Amino acid sequence: MAKASRWNGDVISGAALAALGVFILNEARHWPYMTEEGPGPGFFPLWYGVAMIVLSLWLVLSASLRTPGKTVAGGVNWKGVGRALLVWFAFAVSVGLLKWIGFLLSFALLTVFIVVGMYGKSWRLGIGLAVVNALSFHVLFRMALSVDLPAGPLGF
Amino acid sequence: MKPVRSTIMTALCAALLAAMPAWAEFKPTKPVEFIVHTGPGGGADVLARFIAQVIDKEKLAPVRFTVNNKSGGGGLTAMAYVAEKKGDTHAIAVFTGNWLTNPLVRKEAKVTVKDLTPVARLVLEPALIAVKNDAPFKSLKDFIDAAKKNPKPLKQSGGSTTSRDNVVRQLLMKETGADWAYVSFKGGGERIAALLGGHVNMMVIEPQEAGEHIKAGNMRVLAQVSDKRLAGFPNVPTIKEAGYDVPNVPQVRGILMPPGVAPEVVAYYEDLFQRLTKTATWKKYLDEQQFEDGYMKSAELAKFFDSFSNQMRGILKEAGIKVVR
Amino acid sequence: MEVLTSLMHGLGVAFQPGNLLWCFVGVFLGTVVGVMPGLGPAATIAMLLPLTFQMPPTTALIMLAGIYYGAKYGGSTTAILLNVPGESASVVTCLDGYQMARKGRAGAALGIAAISSFVAGTVGVLGLMLLAPPLAKFALSFSSPEYFALMALGLSMVVLLAGESLVKALLAMLVGLWLAGIGIDLFSDDSRFTFGMSEMLDGIDFVIVAIGVFALGEVIGNMEKRGESTLLPVPKGLRNLLPTWQELKACRFAFLNGSIIGFVIGVLPGAGSTIASFISYGVEKAVSKHPEKFGTGVPEGVAAPEGANNSETGGALVPLLTLGIPGSGTTAILLAAFVLWGLRPGPLMIQDNPELFWGLVASMYVGNIMLLVLNLPLIPVFAQILKLREYALYPVIFGISLIGVYSVSGSLFDCGLLAVFGLLGYLMRKLDYPSAPLILGLVLGDAMESALRQSLMMSQGSLSILVSRPMSATMLVLAVALLALPLFRKFNRWRVQAIEENG
Repeated sequence: MAKASRWNGDVISGAALAALGVFILNEARHWPYMTEEGPGPGFFPLWYGVAMIVLSLWLVLSASLRTPGKTVAGGVNWKGVGRALLVWFAFAVSVGLLKWIGFLLSFALLTVFIVVGMYGKSWRLGIGLAVVNALSFHVLFRMALSVDLPAGPLGF
Repeated sequence: MKPVRSTIMTALCAALLAAMPAWAEFKPTKPVEFIVHTGPGGGADVLARFIAQVIDKEKLAPVRFTVNNKSGGGGLTAMAYVAEKKGDTHAIAVFTGNWLTNPLVRKEAKVTVKDLTPVARLVLEPALIAVKNDAPFKSLKDFIDAAKKNPKPLKQSGGSTTSRDNVVRQLLMKETGADWAYVSFKGGGERIAALLGGHVNMMVIEPQEAGEHIKAGNMRVLAQVSDKRLAGFPNVPTIKEAGYDVPNVPQVRGILMPPGVAPEVVAYYEDLFQRLTKTATWKKYLDEQQFEDGYMKSAELAKFFDSFSNQMRGILKEAGIKVVR
Repeated sequence: MEVLTSLMHGLGVAFQPGNLLWCFVGVFLGTVVGVMPGLGPAATIAMLLPLTFQMPPTTALIMLAGIYYGAKYGGSTTAILLNVPGESASVVTCLDGYQMARKGRAGAALGIAAISSFVAGTVGVLGLMLLAPPLAKFALSFSSPEYFALMALGLSMVVLLAGESLVKALLAMLVGLWLAGIGIDLFSDDSRFTFGMSEMLDGIDFVIVAIGVFALGEVIGNMEKRGESTLLPVPKGLRNLLPTWQELKACRFAFLNGSIIGFVIGVLPGAGSTIASFISYGVEKAVSKHPEKFGTGVPEGVAAPEGANNSETGGALVPLLTLGIPGSGTTAILLAAFVLWGLRPGPLMIQDNPELFWGLVASMYVGNIMLLVLNLPLIPVFAQILKLREYALYPVIFGISLIGVYSVSGSLFDCGLLAVFGLLGYLMRKLDYPSAPLILGLVLGDAMESALRQSLMMSQGSLSILVSRPMSATMLVLAVALLALPLFRKFNRWRVQAIEENG
């Protein structure tokens, strides 16, 4: 990854973490810091919230003060990041679908998406693998180990 | 429901049931789901598994009872789960005092016991007030006097601040004006370790947890948290007998069902559990665990729910714990 | 020599055909369960309890214990091959184990894990057998201040896990601490950071974070490139699939380190195998001649944590059998099993049931041997998994992760959380935030906070309790020293640089 992008990434993530720290402190305000029986629920969050803010600001500072080096050819591989995020999104969708169509179907769909969509293989291969995956999971988990798989309204 | 109306309703139901025994009879036809709010190994879980075992061995029911753990939220997950199974005649759950107290303090609770169908109360679990064997306290009075006098406070180990351990402490402190510190530990094992290691001075402990330690001479019992003396501890006074007039706070366990089940279904399970409590195996279990038989049918149980909740509400408020309903 | 005669007696019990059979069933099941992420020995033991009512308690205990320590063997398999921790303690094994696999040394890593588990497991049983009563006393003297110090020492290990940027490692750790705090506060019953959702009341399960950040983060990251090659190089020939003598030699200290640290930490009720693995890994790295190589795939980095999480089982049985105090979720179920079988767990249990204790101890030796024999030949089999092409393997990893999480809680909400942590894992990789400190913070956060608050409750608000007790003071000093180490190193570097520049 290019140095320039890392610098940027540090600044952004540092800022995000500082924001999280502020959020934590804000929540911690609502809880008693110290009760008569000892430190209250607000005690620990306060301290690590403070630490988080301090450290993330340090990170932002040190990243912005560092001179961004020559940008390496290509910069951030945004195309690659896009692919990765797309896969993640597909996974998230498959989780969301669990309630509606059950595990086996959504897992099969995800397989097809990855094989065909991400790796550009043939539909035959994709669907074939999807079926193999779904069936072996069914056999291995449901039948052999009697572990429950999320089931949709169709019962599987 | 107002007391008079509920009595009439109960009488009517009883009359109806008595008059038509064969008509509305219910029998389970598939395995019954036995829901508990702890993970495997927790108090309710162990009890449920034991009950399932007895029912199976003594053939008290034509089907199996399988335990389903729905732990989380101090019981709230299980309660919500049971409430969702409206009308399911093949689902029952073990409730404990937690189910009654927890919703009082937790605003995230969406379900209370009033939304569920009471079936039967099974046991009351007393407790013991115990100290390490080398402690200078020979009686409860010794401990309380020491707590009143001592500038450096004594410590008690227990569960969370809404647990029975702390409730007993709050009641005693209010009654006597004494004060001592309370240190929460997540598991029973850690609380016992804290006591035996000398890091705390006293704890409220269940008899079956303490039994072996007392036998081995590591612990001494000062008083019993119970209405009458337990068979295993004939020489230990109850709190009332020791001179402190505080209400008894039992840990209670029993059975309830989802909302929307017909009275004959409830009657079936009531009867099933009554037969359970009459078996020799159950009686032996109660003896070994030092539980008190607190069998109560559904109608009485509903009233108990109300009275217990009210009592808890009062106690929690006094202890300064926020009550939300 | 009373110990020897008792052991002989125990061996007699262990070698009865029924007990041998059920021992094998137990360790086999345990291995399978350990390999599957999410599904753990605790739940399996609970499921099998009704079965055990049909057998004598000794046999039942032999089987259940087999599941318990067998699972520790299995947990390393998916950790090494797929970066999916099969068990919470296997998280540390992922760090170097998976890297070894990427370099083509998967078989060696699996072998080292098995051998280390065997050595440490056996040491653990030895400890249980010889040291149980005095150790029980030791366990009791450990209370909240010492736990806090131990956790602090564990957290200071973050320094050793840091890699390039200490600041980022610390930040990751803090996020882990925050995640640990989500849920109901034990002491006050307040709910923290639950955003009003009842599903968050119990906090976020460690498994979800670990699988999401490690496994899914890795897979999603790998999706950036459209690759065609097989996933990881798999060397041909049996010789290359097993650890070399050189690798084994490098691990000699790790075997010892893992065994001892794991056992001692296991004895402490409440401190679990995950902490044992982290500390053992940290110690190994601290004494190593090449600490900077840790995290890139060094065999000691696998041997130490794997050993620790196995000998921990022996240690955890000490308070259970000598005091009736369970130290972890699994031992709590064993305790419940004792009660259900009519035994009375407590200080007198060993006295009253000698053949139970010695039969168990003897069977654990046998069980460890069985596991070694079971696991070693399976290595070539497991290594074949790596031959699968990426597009076949990755969906499977997604699937296993999902099931692993679902099997823990049965909650679709948790599956959604898994997706969130998968994304987090990917982002952390991209932005160079190390994930081990996050896990460390998550594991230790809860326990550390409880220990601190309990300590202050005991001392009525005075922090001096932490330093007035010898054990906690020592550990805290060590922790501070560890934290100061990078500063010291930097200072040293400046000094050397200054000398060079002036000279």
